[in-house]
Parts: sequence; structure tokens; C-alpha cells
Amino acid sequence: MRTVLKVVNRVVTGLVGLVLVVLGGSVLAVGLGVKPPSWWVHDGRHAVLLSDAERTRWRGDGWWWPTVLAALAVLVLLALWWLVAALRRRRLTEVAVRTGDGEGALLRGRALESVLAADAGDLDGVAHAHVRLTGTRTAPEAHVQLSLEPHVDPGVALDHLTANALTHARDSAGLEALPTEVWLRGVKHRAERVS
Amino acid sequence: MSEPQGSDGTTQRLPVIEKETDPVPVVHDGDGKGGRFWSARRVPAGIVAVLLLVGAGALLYDVTAVRAKRPAAHWRRELARQLAQRPLDDTWVLVGAGVAAALGLWLIVLALTPGLRQVLPMRRTHADVRAGLQRAAAAMVLRDRAMEVSGVQSVRVHTSRTKADVRAVSHFRELDDVRADLDSVLTDAITGLGLARPPALSVHVGRPRGKG
Repeated sequence: MRTVLKVVNRVVTGLVGLVLVVLGGSVLAVGLGVKPPSWWVHDGRHAVLLSDAERTRWRGDGWWWPTVLAALAVLVLLALWWLVAALRRRRLTEVAVRTGDGEGALLRGRALESVLAADAGDLDGVAHAHVRLTGTRTAPEAHVQLSLEPHVDPGVALDHLTANALTHARDSAGLEALPTEVWLRGVKHRAERVS
Repeated sequence: MSEPQGSDGTTQRLPVIEKETDPVPVVHDGDGKGGRFWSARRVPAGIVAVLLLVGAGALLYDVTAVRAKRPAAHWRRELARQLAQRPLDDTWVLVGAGVAAALGLWLIVLALTPGLRQVLPMRRTHADVRAGLQRAAAAMVLRDRAMEVSGVQSVRVHTSRTKADVRAVSHFRELDDVRADLDSVLTDAITGLGLARPPALSVHVGRPRGKG
């Protein structure tokens, strides 16, 4: 997932949370008898949430309805974009391969994924590997999930993956770097008894 | 002039090998600590987006409808009436405000914390590679290594992000010997996990219950 979207997710979630805390907290405080400052919207525990006078204060002004409509429309569009971005799983379709003679070639992302997964799966102690490519076609990134067999040390398995499968994939695609995120999990099994 | 001439193959192949061994893991000594993994927070973001979309969309639809000389929807008139009637010390208003504040706090916590507590960051051995080990997998490796110690009948391992708590049941050998063996085996095993912050080890050994 793109870094921008990660940041947007957290910032907007936090902002919505902040709005909820301020609104809910202030209503709760005033409702329970805390004396609000004079400029606050609610002036005491018997005030209503939003009176008719407050709601219709600017209704006569010419700018009111266009502003409300524009603000709502922008909010709807942003929410729609955010939702679509959050639901979509980006996956790299093509990787640009530098052949070294000034020409370039395109490699299907799936092909590189399956080669990398097969390479990783062949390593000692790796039961199963799953690879997903993201990023851009000139700067791809790899996400690798390894299922480890019981006998292998995770640190060793990671070293093998880095030295063999990842290096191999990077060199064969002619990439300068292949930033990779690796998640290791274990294959579930019963404890073996020492006889 | 008198360069050592091996077979042609050797001299030809050398540069290629050099190129391939170049990226072999560069181990950073002090700075090899990988940071926590930060979750993308897709699920909360998706839920908040859906709620915003539905709320703003419904309001936009109805405001537009009223501008087009149609009567306002029932829910909007009812909402305006309730907002104008309920005082702040009304029970339902207080309950609603409390729920909203709690929900808001939870969203703020979600936004500020990394999440992914089940993933332990591993030591970075290469600048381009970030790795994480599932906590359950770490526990399973420790359990397997502990089972290899002779005298150990069964083991339960609980790993948190800072501690590995190992409880073994031993049916023969001196408990102190078993404990010493477990200590050394598990210390090696924890090193073998390759974690950025190796968990502190605590070992308990006991006899099986219910048997003389």
C-alpha cells in the first residue's frame, strides 16, 4: 500500500476521532454541570443541542445554501475517493527491465512474483512462500510471506532469502534495488517428543 | 606481464561472481534495529469512509431536494426537532455524547499507535529488506528447541513483545540440570530468531502433577 495512503488513513481517522471527542466530550461535560465559557455554543445544562434559531441563523443569506451544497459535495467526493483507495489492492502488472544496452523490456509482474516465490520456496526450511509486487514499474517493491518449517531458525531463513532469492530476482530483472518486506510465520505442528 | 594464468574459465567468471556476491547481507552492527511495523489501518479507515460517505451523501441529497422545491425528508425534520428539543442533561443526549467521545478516543488511539502487535521486527541485515516474525512462530520455534532437551516432557511457551516465558515439565533428571540446559538451548534459539529486540527469557521447570 502506498505510503501516502497510509498517512492519509491515519490523519483522517485521527481527525474524525478528534471531532468526536471534542463534540461528545463538551456535550457530556456541560450536560453534567460543568460551567462552559461564555463564548461556547451551549450556555448551560438546560440548553438544547441545536435550537431552531441557531440552525436557521444564516438561512436568509445568499451565500449559505451554495456553501452548504459545495461543502457536502466535496465531502462526498473525498469520502468516495478514500473508500475506493482503501478497498483497492494495488498490484504491479509490469516491471521495466534494463537489458544494459540502452534498450528496455517489460516483464510481467506475475511472472516475477511466481519466480521469486518458487525460488524462496526452494530454500531450506521454507514450506511455502507467497510474493506480491507493489510500487512502480521502475521501482518495484516486494512483499514476501514465508511459512517456515520447524527445524529452521528464522534468522537463518531470512539470511538465505536475502542472499539467494531476493538477490537473484533483483539481478535478473536488472533492478538497482528491490525494497522488500518479509513476514515470517510458522507451519503449525505438534510438539515432537524426545524418545 | 606474468599474470597468473589459470584456465580461461576462471578469469572470465570472476567478475560475474563478484557482481553476484556484492549484495550479500551487509550486517550493521549497532544500527541494525528495525523499527516497528506500522499497520495501514485499512479497516478503520474503510469504516469511517463509509459512514462519512453515507452521512454526507444523504444530507446532500436531501438539501438538493429541498432546493428543488420538494419537501424535506422525514428523518431530517425529525432530527432537527429532536436537536431543538432535547436539553443537554437529557439521559439519551448524555449517553450519545459519551459513546461519541469514547469512539473518538478509540479512533485517536488507532491513528497514533503502530498496531501489528503480533509481528516482531527482525534485525535488519540488509538495507533493502525489512522483516517481521509472527509472535506465534517465535513461540513455536522456542517450544521445538525446548522439547529437544532431554528430560523435558512438555513445554508451554508464551511470548510477548519483550518476554519469552517458558514453562517446562520434566519427568526425569535433576530439575536444576534441566533448567541449565533449557537456559543455554533457549538463549541460542532466541539469538537464532534474529529479532531486533530479543525477548528476555524466563524459564520455569516443574515436575508433572498428580504422579508420586
